Amino acid sequence: MKRLVLQNVFKQYADKVAVNGISFEVEQGEIYGLLGANGAGKTTTMRMILGLIYHDKGSILYNGQTYSKALLNDFGYLPEERGLYPKIKVGEQLNYLAQLKGMKASDADKEIKYWLERFGVPENYNKKVEELSKGNQQKIQFVSAIVHRPTYIIMDEAFSGLDPVNVELLKETVKELRDNGSTIVFSTHRMEHVEELCKNISILHKSNQVVKGNLKEIRNQFPKEKVFLATAGQVTGIEAINGVEHVKQNENGLEIKISKEKAAKDILQHAISQTEVTHFEIKAPTLNEIFIRTVGENNE
Amino acid sequence: MNNIGTVIKFTFLNKVRSKSFLISTLVFAIIISIGVHIPFFIKMFSGDSEAKLIGYVVQNEQEAAFANQLEQYTNYDGSSIALKKYELPAGSNADQFGTKLVTDGDVRGYIIFSEFDNNGIPAVTYKSEALGDYTTVSQLEQTIQIIKQQNIIASSGLSNDIIEQLSAPVVVNSLQISFGSEEGLSEDERGINMWIIYGLIIVLFMGIMISGQTIAAEVTAEKSSRVMEVLVTSVSPLASMFGKITGMFLLVVTQLVTYIAVVIINVSLPHNNEILSGLNINFSALDPFVLIYGLIYFFAGFFLFSVLYAALGSIVSRTEDLGQAVMPMTIISLAGFYIAMFSIATPESTLVTVSSYIPFVSPFVMLLRIGLTNIATWEILVSLAILFVTIYVCVAISARIYRTGVLMYGKRPSLKELYKAMKAYK
Repeated sequence: MKRLVLQNVFKQYADKVAVNGISFEVEQGEIYGLLGANGAGKTTTMRMILGLIYHDKGSILYNGQTYSKALLNDFGYLPEERGLYPKIKVGEQLNYLAQLKGMKASDADKEIKYWLERFGVPENYNKKVEELSKGNQQKIQFVSAIVHRPTYIIMDEAFSGLDPVNVELLKETVKELRDNGSTIVFSTHRMEHVEELCKNISILHKSNQVVKGNLKEIRNQFPKEKVFLATAGQVTGIEAINGVEHVKQNENGLEIKISKEKAAKDILQHAISQTEVTHFEIKAPTLNEIFIRTVGENNE
Repeated sequence: MNNIGTVIKFTFLNKVRSKSFLISTLVFAIIISIGVHIPFFIKMFSGDSEAKLIGYVVQNEQEAAFANQLEQYTNYDGSSIALKKYELPAGSNADQFGTKLVTDGDVRGYIIFSEFDNNGIPAVTYKSEALGDYTTVSQLEQTIQIIKQQNIIASSGLSNDIIEQLSAPVVVNSLQISFGSEEGLSEDERGINMWIIYGLIIVLFMGIMISGQTIAAEVTAEKSSRVMEVLVTSVSPLASMFGKITGMFLLVVTQLVTYIAVVIINVSLPHNNEILSGLNINFSALDPFVLIYGLIYFFAGFFLFSVLYAALGSIVSRTEDLGQAVMPMTIISLAGFYIAMFSIATPESTLVTVSSYIPFVSPFVMLLRIGLTNIATWEILVSLAILFVTIYVCVAISARIYRTGVLMYGKRPSLKELYKAMKAYK
């Protein structure tokens, strides 16, 4: 059975539709990516999953069951904005938050120390949150979301404000949690993180779910429109090939935009007939491009 | 629920260890200690244990007789003045000798007698370094007045019997009328009740104002620091609200117990004990029901105000907007406090009777009626019932506002927006 199933979930605030019928499923040990521009409805969707706000229509099922208070301890939530007590010591407040999740104080303390150690900030245990840098606060926030080893982890902009080294550190942790069987819903603006972590994604745009499904399949739905060509000698006359829209000379070769996939084959044959080809690649669209295209198109 | 306990503990421990709490408690404890010592200080500085010595000399028989009479009336135990006779040395006059006595520090002032009138009373002049020694002068005046009356009565030929009857003091006893079979409240009981009620009203007001504001500020702070978003995914809003209120309540109780302990310690210090027993405060005269009802109203009032403060705190997102949002609560609690304080002398007025049934105000005002008038038990129960129903309604509304409010950011929502959002919760 799927761990988390959203079916046609609809939410309206006053006279504004915040989420207009979103559906997706997440399995155990899977990271699901929610993409979308600001205000697209990602946070609202997450809050509905967490039971913070009720959906107006549709259903959200957890292991086949509807929401109940008993689920509270199974949730781990990393909100988009820092949500910590600024004036309370890190160790204390993490312990408090862990206890609210049903952990015993002594167990919580051990876990907290383990995670702080792992993130390379054991000295922060006795510091107040307001004394920490933004990145370190984010680490503390991250610990608060996972310290009780939740079944469902909801992460809103998990890696914002972190340097590349720490992003890597947290990313590894997220992968580990996934491998340990957590069901993770993850939102971000950084497409490369999604490409690395998520199998399935949804793109939200203005409250609508415009793209949904397996990342690879989504890629394949979008036509391959770019060809990269590197050759030993000069190649001429590519512009004349049927289906070629635009040719751009790069440092290492040619970037060719095509309007139909058949043109790629013609380009290769054309190049081989003139000189030796060192590199030829039909490029799948990056998620970034897909995102910009779907969101951009719908913008018009 | 287990979580409420965690929230209570966290709220309580964080507050009780905070510098602001420790400092304010300490400052208050010092103020209380000073307050308890005031009677002692007054006694110490006024030095009234020693009577003021006033010197005089007599120059003839008539003066000697009068001075003797005067001395009888002034030199009693505990009097604030004492006359002392000096022999006038040969060759100096009374005025010069008196001045010398004062400058030598033997006496505080001296009396000069001059011409006697028909009733055997001389013109008296009191001379001292301090010009405005009115207490001494008025005491002398009163004493001389008595002597004058005695002299006139004596010369009028009235019998001793009649004189005694004339001077017997009149006593007015006051006792409260009771409607039941019990006796009404005596002066003593009313006195001690009044003190207790004063205390309870002030404590209730302070407790509500300080902890109410703190609760509201805490909620707003959790909201603005967004920690609320994490909290609501861990603990139900109701549990977090009641945990917070209970934690604050324990804090207030801790503070009160500290203050009461400070008072008791101070009162039982040996040098205070003596003086305070002289003030005639008799705790055994205290009616336990006043205290019990007082505590019930205290808890109820505290709880009622706290839930509303928490709800108001949950509506605003920034601490700057908080003052404005809690204004109505501040005004209501001020109204209750002032009605009670200004009516303490007239606990039977219509204002008190009516407002003792109005929730929000009744915790303050009903105490007056219970302690100072003879109130029927059903009246108390009706007032309590109204109060409890109000609490129930307010808890239901506050819980909803709280649940909705904690996730609403941006500008303070209007009533309409809040209502819509609350409806969305069902």
